[in-house]
Amino acid sequence: MFGRMIRGTLFRQWKKMLMIAFTIALGASLASAMLSVMLDVGDKVNQELKTYGANIRVLPKSSSVLSGLYEMEGESSGAYLKEDELGKIKTIFWTFNIVDYAPFINVNAHLDSGEDVKVVGSWFNHHMTLPTGEELNAGVESMRSWWELESGVWLDEQQEGDGSKGAMIGTELARKYGLQVGSRLHVTGKTADDTFTVKGIFDAGGDEDSQIYVQLNTAQALDGLDGKVDSIDVSALTTPDNELAERAAKDPKSLTVAQYELWYCTAYASSICWQIQQAITDCVASPVRQVADSEGEILSKTELLMILITILSLIGAALGICNLVTASVMERSQEIGLMKAIGAYNGSISLLVLTEIFITAVIGGVAGFFAGFGFAQIIGHSVFGSAISMRPMVIPIVAVAVFTVTLIGCIPAIRMLLRLRPTEVLHGK
Amino acid sequence: MSLLELKNVYKIYGELHALDDVSLKVEKGEWVSIMGPSGSGKSTMMNIIGCMDKPTKGEVLLDGVDISKESSKSLTTIRRDKIGLIFQQFHLVNYLTAVENVMLAQYYHSIPDEKEALEALERVGLAGRAKHLPSQLSGGEQQRVCVARALINYPEIILADEPTGNLDEANEEIVVDLFHKLHDDGTTLIVVTHDPEVAEVAQRRLVLRNGKIAKEVVNEHFTGKIRFND
Amino acid sequence: MKKRRMFIRMITASLMRRRSRMVVALLSIAIGATILSGLVSIYYDVPRQLGAEFRNYGANMILTGTDGRFTGADVEAGKGQIPASELVGAAPYRYENVRIRENPVVAAGTDPEGAKAASPYWLIDDGEWLKSSGELLLGAKVADSFRLKVGERIEVSFTPESEKLKAADNEAVNDNVKEFTVVGILKTGGTEEEYAYMTYGDLEELTGVKDVFDAAELSVSAASDKLKDYAARINASAPGVHASLVKRVTASETTVLSKLQALVLLVTIVVLALTMICVATTMTAVVAERRKEIGLRKAIGASDGSIIKEFMGESMLLGLLGGVIGSVLGYVFAQQVSVRVFSSSISFRPLLVPITIIVSIVVTGLSSLMPIKSATEVDPALVLKGE
Repeated sequence: MFGRMIRGTLFRQWKKMLMIAFTIALGASLASAMLSVMLDVGDKVNQELKTYGANIRVLPKSSSVLSGLYEMEGESSGAYLKEDELGKIKTIFWTFNIVDYAPFINVNAHLDSGEDVKVVGSWFNHHMTLPTGEELNAGVESMRSWWELESGVWLDEQQEGDGSKGAMIGTELARKYGLQVGSRLHVTGKTADDTFTVKGIFDAGGDEDSQIYVQLNTAQALDGLDGKVDSIDVSALTTPDNELAERAAKDPKSLTVAQYELWYCTAYASSICWQIQQAITDCVASPVRQVADSEGEILSKTELLMILITILSLIGAALGICNLVTASVMERSQEIGLMKAIGAYNGSISLLVLTEIFITAVIGGVAGFFAGFGFAQIIGHSVFGSAISMRPMVIPIVAVAVFTVTLIGCIPAIRMLLRLRPTEVLHGK
Repeated sequence: MSLLELKNVYKIYGELHALDDVSLKVEKGEWVSIMGPSGSGKSTMMNIIGCMDKPTKGEVLLDGVDISKESSKSLTTIRRDKIGLIFQQFHLVNYLTAVENVMLAQYYHSIPDEKEALEALERVGLAGRAKHLPSQLSGGEQQRVCVARALINYPEIILADEPTGNLDEANEEIVVDLFHKLHDDGTTLIVVTHDPEVAEVAQRRLVLRNGKIAKEVVNEHFTGKIRFND
Repeated sequence: MKKRRMFIRMITASLMRRRSRMVVALLSIAIGATILSGLVSIYYDVPRQLGAEFRNYGANMILTGTDGRFTGADVEAGKGQIPASELVGAAPYRYENVRIRENPVVAAGTDPEGAKAASPYWLIDDGEWLKSSGELLLGAKVADSFRLKVGERIEVSFTPESEKLKAADNEAVNDNVKEFTVVGILKTGGTEEEYAYMTYGDLEELTGVKDVFDAAELSVSAASDKLKDYAARINASAPGVHASLVKRVTASETTVLSKLQALVLLVTIVVLALTMICVATTMTAVVAERRKEIGLRKAIGASDGSIIKEFMGESMLLGLLGGVIGSVLGYVFAQQVSVRVFSSSISFRPLLVPITIIVSIVVTGLSSLMPIKSATEVDPALVLKGE
């Protein structure tokens, strides 16, 4: 009989129940959309912030102390990283957080006119197949996204092949010597000379505008520095620093074992640096504070903003559901008065009402969850151009929230219904 | 000319003939009661007379106007001007006070006048309860507010649908007394009821059965001022 | 006149005596209006607030001399082109080769307060920020190579141009020498770690040459189009300096900021749409509940038009009240968000108040119109008999 009564309400009063289900679905979709976006916004914004370039710079150990000073004098410090160790960066614990990296070798060469020019060897879109099977295109094309191509194209390593003579030059250099795409440029280094063909001219708005960018091995050959690298720029997804990370950055050994584990297993810039240092011989990896610190600030602010907006919309959704549930249960006072008159206990009436509402809530909640996930995808695709990843934790959160809110919505209505005196209801109010 | 005249009225719902060739005349100032078991067509007849429904076939003349041909909008106007309704479930707006409920009818009719509304309440003996909400009134008092509301616009006909159905005996008596007073003042009363005691005090009572007028009884012992069938 | 009074009396009676139901409806409208006004304020304020956060990336405009070095007056002329409210920080720099323990080091003279504002990401790893004359802020690499610690005193020497000739002639050189205290170690992860920072006055004293600058870093809180405009104006009006944008900062800021703004906009739209529908369903339920009353009013002679007028009047009054409450709460919410997230207060937008009120009236009005209309179509006899 109980089942029959429930079926009766659900099917014969389906319009009302549909409206409740619809409101619950709306609330649930709002909650799941906002939660999904909120939980993923950190990663997404982090990706976006990669446009600022590397947040970690790796230098040879000895050079990291003095190279800057000596380079001012135009000398080379003589300390280098090994090119064949570059792959090791993608073997560290946080390998999946390293989205991009590029090695650099700086060569002070001179042109035929006798003027000095800085030739930089690097990766442009270097293709790598990692032992894990992951494919990765790394290099300056993605790491210097703010470079504006004035003419020509980005140097395509895969097309040119190793040891090609293509080059990209800065605008100032191009203007100074009247170079254009297709122009040939003869450069003499310490041990060798070479002729490059200009493939593209870029405007970087910095020192790079008067430099020549060529492939790593051709630049190495100019100075006879085969297999050697000056520095590596690494772009990694990091977690904003906290007090632990700051302490660890000063001296990881000052941490307790538990703190060390926590720090090592969190993607702080400092722990990624630490892991790179262990992977590559004689190197110092340090966060580029301009990028790393700002990233942390913006990330945490955006996340906090989203959390607050999410809370507001959750409150809104909760009140919406509560309201409607209250209103629709109260509406049935007459029916419930009748049930009381023919001898229903308070408990059985409450059970009936709750069961009906909860069946409706489950239907609405499930529909709303999928709709909300759809909304999240719309947001993800139109803002970030990528899907918002599905977090399993959203499901229990939304489920618990919908049930709690529906229950709270039922409480005042049920209390009112229980206080009803059947005579009052049946003999005109 | 009769105030109300039904000529061969039919109301058909699919197979069911709720009213089946009913003809009836009610004179001005008359007090008629309509009886009959459930499903005999009482409510259908009441709805048609009350301008809330139209017959499938036949004429309904109210003051010489055939209301079966009117649009639902002008039916509203006719109902407002000529008919005062009293319901079994009272149907008061539960957030308006007694006097405001009476004024509501004035409001839709013409202009609300609180003094007049209070007078109407006085007539039904509720002067002291004017500021009470329906929930603070007893069933009999609520029905008396309905009577006052039905009276307020001086309708041609007061149409009462089971006015005592929800009342105890004491209140029933009060309402019946009110009907006597109304009748003495010259109001036309049509009372639909299945309570023989209420029906019998009318001048004339009709018994409906299966959509037809099965019996018509004239009250020989009618005690009111106005008598037609002597 | 009397009719209108009865109209008002009915509406207020409905609102006051059906209090609990009306509070429910009002609450939902007010929440909707709160979300509307709160989110829209945030949406409008986010670019400004986030833009300020992006200033953490440091200078986005660099002034260099058009012809070698430039003077303090040139810097002021350039700065004058940018509204003071948008100028987050400005730091002029002068670089000189000095010697510490006979090793060459680049000394940078600057305005410490300006540098702090223009480069918020600089981290004082140890000690404190450069404040006054006689203090030295060492880049981490310099400190490391000289094994200098905070609190140590050190002599910095400089060879003036006139003395350099003597050195070439192997004569005794009279260096300018000044003693400094190391107050802090600077960590940035960039080339700044290779310099030693001192106040501009100290560098003037050390070199004996006054009022020359190599570069000035400006941190301006403005979109990239506006920045280009400022740069053009500086180049036109301050002949001594050339303004150029730090592309890496400006270009990236434009990309990221526009995405963040789009995110907030889209979230706002989704939340608003869903909230409005929620308000609409609540209003539908509130009206649907009163079908019987509508039937009764019809039975005692109300025309459809007057019923619609009364019920609409009631729900629009609710909309108005909800809108007023919502604009206040929305402002409070936006203010809370702003203070918590960006630790700055939000600007009050007077226009948002009427907009919120109008939207909430329209939404409640429209969402009640449908159920009211369908209720008036119902046969009064059925409503009165039914149930």
